[in-house]
Amino acid sequence: MPWYVHLALKQLFPAGRRFPFFTAISVLGVALGVALLIVVTSVMGGFGYEIRRMIVETEGEVQVKARGLIDDPAAVLQQVRRVPGVEAATPFASGVVMVMANGRPAYPAIRGLHLDTVGGVVDLAAYVRLGTLEELDDDSVLVSSELARSLGVTIGDTLEVYSPLIIERLRSDEVFLPREVRVVGLVEIGHQQLDSSMLYGTLRLVQDLYGLGSAVHGVNVRARPGVGEDELARRLNAGGLPAGLQAFSWMDSFEEFLWVLNLEKGMIFFLLLFIVIVAAFSVMSSLLISVVRKTREIGLLGALGASSRGVAACFCAQGILIGCFGTLVGLGLGFAALAVRNDAVMLIARLTQREDELRRFYQFSNLPAHTVPGDVATVVVLTLAISFLAGLVPAWRAARLRPVEAFRSE
Amino acid sequence: MLQAAGLTKTYASGDRRIAVLRGVDLLLRAGESVSIRGESGAGKSTLLHLLAGLDAPDAGELRWNGDRIDAARCTAIRNRFLGMIFQSFHLVPELTAEDNVLLPRRIGGRVDAAARRRAADLLARVGLGERARHLPSQLSGGERQRVAVARALMNQPSLVLADEPTGNLDERTGEAVITLLLELVAETRTALILVTHNPAHAARTSRHLTLSEGILHHG
Ligand SMILES: Nc1ncnc2c1ncn2[C@@H]1O[C@H](COP(=O)(O)OP(=O)(O)O)[C@@H](O)[C@H]1O
Ligand SMILES: [Mg+2]
Repeated sequence: MPWYVHLALKQLFPAGRRFPFFTAISVLGVALGVALLIVVTSVMGGFGYEIRRMIVETEGEVQVKARGLIDDPAAVLQQVRRVPGVEAATPFASGVVMVMANGRPAYPAIRGLHLDTVGGVVDLAAYVRLGTLEELDDDSVLVSSELARSLGVTIGDTLEVYSPLIIERLRSDEVFLPREVRVVGLVEIGHQQLDSSMLYGTLRLVQDLYGLGSAVHGVNVRARPGVGEDELARRLNAGGLPAGLQAFSWMDSFEEFLWVLNLEKGMIFFLLLFIVIVAAFSVMSSLLISVVRKTREIGLLGALGASSRGVAACFCAQGILIGCFGTLVGLGLGFAALAVRNDAVMLIARLTQREDELRRFYQFSNLPAHTVPGDVATVVVLTLAISFLAGLVPAWRAARLRPVEAFRSE
Repeated sequence: MLQAAGLTKTYASGDRRIAVLRGVDLLLRAGESVSIRGESGAGKSTLLHLLAGLDAPDAGELRWNGDRIDAARCTAIRNRFLGMIFQSFHLVPELTAEDNVLLPRRIGGRVDAAARRRAADLLARVGLGERARHLPSQLSGGERQRVAVARALMNQPSLVLADEPTGNLDERTGEAVITLLLELVAETRTALILVTHNPAHAARTSRHLTLSEGILHHG
């Protein structure tokens, strides 16, 4: 070990002192900045990640759509399935309906699932909280949990479903009777918007409600593991599809939203970086004080044959070491905070008596967090670089000190 | 071994100029011990700093082992060539006695098992074998100065410069430190320049010099 690293370590952690107070404070300052950066980028990243996960899990990575309807879904499915990288595909129809139950109306979205093929794309059964997917037939629906609550229905109850076709029927003076469907299950995906107002029925049911015949609105595609969604969408568009159809990856569909999310994350990262910079200033000032306090020892090092570059390295090393320990402690603190984040959020909500609002207005049932290794690496590299810069000024002061002047300062 | 010729040093103090050294000549042979006495402010410390290459003279020439010494570029040579002892000990407070003794070796290169053995031997020789792991703050003044003596000898230098090493010690402790220092340089055939106020200490070196009016005199 070069002498300046040895001495830097000894100055930060003096022998015989059990708790190096000054060092601990400097380290803690850096650590808090690092921890905050880790927590906030992870939580910010969590939103995007959770949304992606939810969309991909419930709809597949890629969606094939026509400008209007897809009239011959069987042919499209066949073609889509031939494209390399496609694991499974399922047609769907979707729209908005009005339902009545217990005299209360609601206007949920409805999704028609092709029961034979939907299992390859979406593991809907995993989200069924009550009842089973198996009982779903053309005269029954699954209801999202919040909708069931607000309508006051549960398994075995009956809903009246009115579709937009009612308007055409009324125009031609036909009698229109609502479709009566049974509730056979409750679905909870964990996203407030998806859970607040959704019905899941068979494809046939939705085709009937919308008068589609055998046409569908689109095809959801599941990618093989390891095949990127953008890549798959590109392959489909490059020749796998009949004319007039286009494939969109979920990223295409949410491009603006994701862009805003990323921008926000970047901005917050930039702002929080200033905490590390402020911490670095405090490291710098404490190192500068120690340069003044150790004037005699710095002179002594020169008298013992240390070069001024070595003396500078000793103080730089102290800055970097504080940065290293601060980063380590900060990573520990940050990941620990992430591990208990949900309990912490609930505790704060309970203390401020905001539990209900939190559940109602917050999009997720848990505070999502997703740590990207690249973000962690950026935090570590930037923190170390900033600590190095913080050590540079004291190092320069120490290197300029001439031993003779140091000895005269007694 | 050490040659100094015509060393001068002038300090500007306000608009006055103080000529502290006005042409100091000194020739030192290997293993020789020399004492320098002089009033406070006579320029003894200034002279030692020039001889150590820590400061550049205004005029004159310094040679170590025949090589011209340039104050700006002699740090690496200084590490091997000389050891220094100061009035106020100058130990690094965060380092144990042993690490303080090892410091010149660390700065000069690597600390290996042989270096550790030498440090332990030196500490034992100055009577601090049991105190190797103690910090300077846990040692008395005399003990600290003995650590400084051991440190000055760590790299087996050709020359030790001691600037009033007993100035901060009581008489008996100072006496013991000087005795130890003289014994050690004699054993290791190391040259010594001892700056001191104490005539008794000065008398124990082989040559006696006095600095006054910026010139070195014999006697
Ligand atoms: N850097 C300096 N600037 C101005 N005057 C100095 C400086 N260094 C030493 N002197 C002056 O030079 C004289 C000799 O100082 P010094 O060598 O420390 O004397 P001694 O060690 O013999 O007591 C003193 O008058 C001191 O004030
Ligand atoms: Mg002096």
